Amino acid sequence: MSKKKIWMLGLFFMFALLPQTTFAMHIMEGFLPAKWCIAWGVFTIPFVLVGFLSIQKTVKEHPKTKMLLAMAGAFAFVLSALKIPSVTGSCSHPTGVGLGAILFGPTAMSVLGLIVLLFQAILLAHGGLTTLGANTFSMAVVGPLVSFVTYKIVKRANGPQWLAVFLAAALGDILTYTATSIQLALAFPAETGGFMASMVKFMSIFAITQIPLAVSEGILTVLIFNAIKAYGKDELKDLKMFSKEV
Amino acid sequence: MIYIDKYAYISKLKHQDPIYKLVFCMMTLGVCLWANSIIISIIALLIMGWHTVCKGGIPCAIFMKLMIIPMSFLAIGVLTVGINVSDKKDIFLFYISVFDINAGVTQSGIQNAAHLFFKALGAVSCLYYLSLNTPMVDILQALGRLRVPKLFIELMSLIYRFIFVLLETVEMMLTAQKSRMGYSGISSGYRSLAALASTLFIRAYKRSDELYTSLEARGYDGELNALHESYKKGWIQYTSPITVNLILIAMTLIIRHFTGGLM
Repeated sequence: MSKKKIWMLGLFFMFALLPQTTFAMHIMEGFLPAKWCIAWGVFTIPFVLVGFLSIQKTVKEHPKTKMLLAMAGAFAFVLSALKIPSVTGSCSHPTGVGLGAILFGPTAMSVLGLIVLLFQAILLAHGGLTTLGANTFSMAVVGPLVSFVTYKIVKRANGPQWLAVFLAAALGDILTYTATSIQLALAFPAETGGFMASMVKFMSIFAITQIPLAVSEGILTVLIFNAIKAYGKDELKDLKMFSKEV
Repeated sequence: MIYIDKYAYISKLKHQDPIYKLVFCMMTLGVCLWANSIIISIIALLIMGWHTVCKGGIPCAIFMKLMIIPMSFLAIGVLTVGINVSDKKDIFLFYISVFDINAGVTQSGIQNAAHLFFKALGAVSCLYYLSLNTPMVDILQALGRLRVPKLFIELMSLIYRFIFVLLETVEMMLTAQKSRMGYSGISSGYRSLAALASTLFIRAYKRSDELYTSLEARGYDGELNALHESYKKGWIQYTSPITVNLILIAMTLIIRHFTGGLM
């Protein structure tokens, strides 16, 4: 085999094996340089603070919501440990970003997301302590905000509910990965072409693996949401305390 | 499903002050990130591995197995950082070209990738030192002593408790679905998973409702109180992590001086 063929074979295997990596969206411990760990941590603080204050207010008015919030957090953690059958044939884990944002609103999600990510780092070794800020920013701030805004826009334009849920979940997923790619690209600009080239590199890897996953998560979220709506009307009413309207 | 947690409760270092473990972990993590050196990262890995395996009594095989978990992310990340794209060919050590674009590896690319690889491994070992030797309850208590807001810690401890309750429910439902061929194809898989997640959500909701009722019946007024283990106090116990990290910093400076950041 010529050298070129070996390389092509190697690349083929690399991409063939890629989609099986699960939890690829959590930046692992120690991967980001110290200054970016601090920077993303600082960017995340205001969002978490706003979320925390709003939770504090809600809990003071309705003490029962504390248990509900805790259940929501545990639900998000357990959901992310499930496997979705993906369109490409491999399995992946749902992020639960879209569902959480629609059910509990983006403010509560920032705090719950932070806690869930901390547990994932300590209990499952997915993500890390130093990269907690960066991961929280992409998965608990950007993702839920995008999902929530998408959901609202489609609803306001009188789009069907399933489309709103699907787009919210899929876009929330994709934007989460985009945010992660930007974080990685900023930390590791390419030698040739700088930030943009590096961004293209990370994005293309994420796009290959994550777009099918985003679609599967969108479909799954629609199914889950419909089932919850059919069987849990009363529960949904109570959740309005967090996101005003569902 | 979550075996890290199980080992944390049987670790011999369980009764050590959690703040001590937190400080040791974070300090070494910080030095590892700052040093960005292959040698220092390997030393950190050995120190943390020794503490966990020899002093904590965690089986070595488990520690090794855990080190493999982040490998997939690490491999992809390191490859992406190492491989560059350019239209010039002469900067690469070796490369392949597709049409007019050349993708290849430069010398500094390899260096960065190697540094990154070992740095991440060293950092992950620090994380494992903490999570394999400290039960979550102790970490939460330590956070409380560090003045993290009460509501936050309470949410965390409730979530921690609920995770296991829900995981048990999920496992039961998964077994039931699988034994009825619930995941035999893609479409049935989606249907089963949606049923599982929505049922789980409604069950979780009901559980939280019941929990609140039962707590209120026992005089709950917004705070869950529990007695905590008492630990040896004093600053003397912090001398060993500080010394270890000072030695690491000194070694980094020496290595930098002699190799110019190569190792």
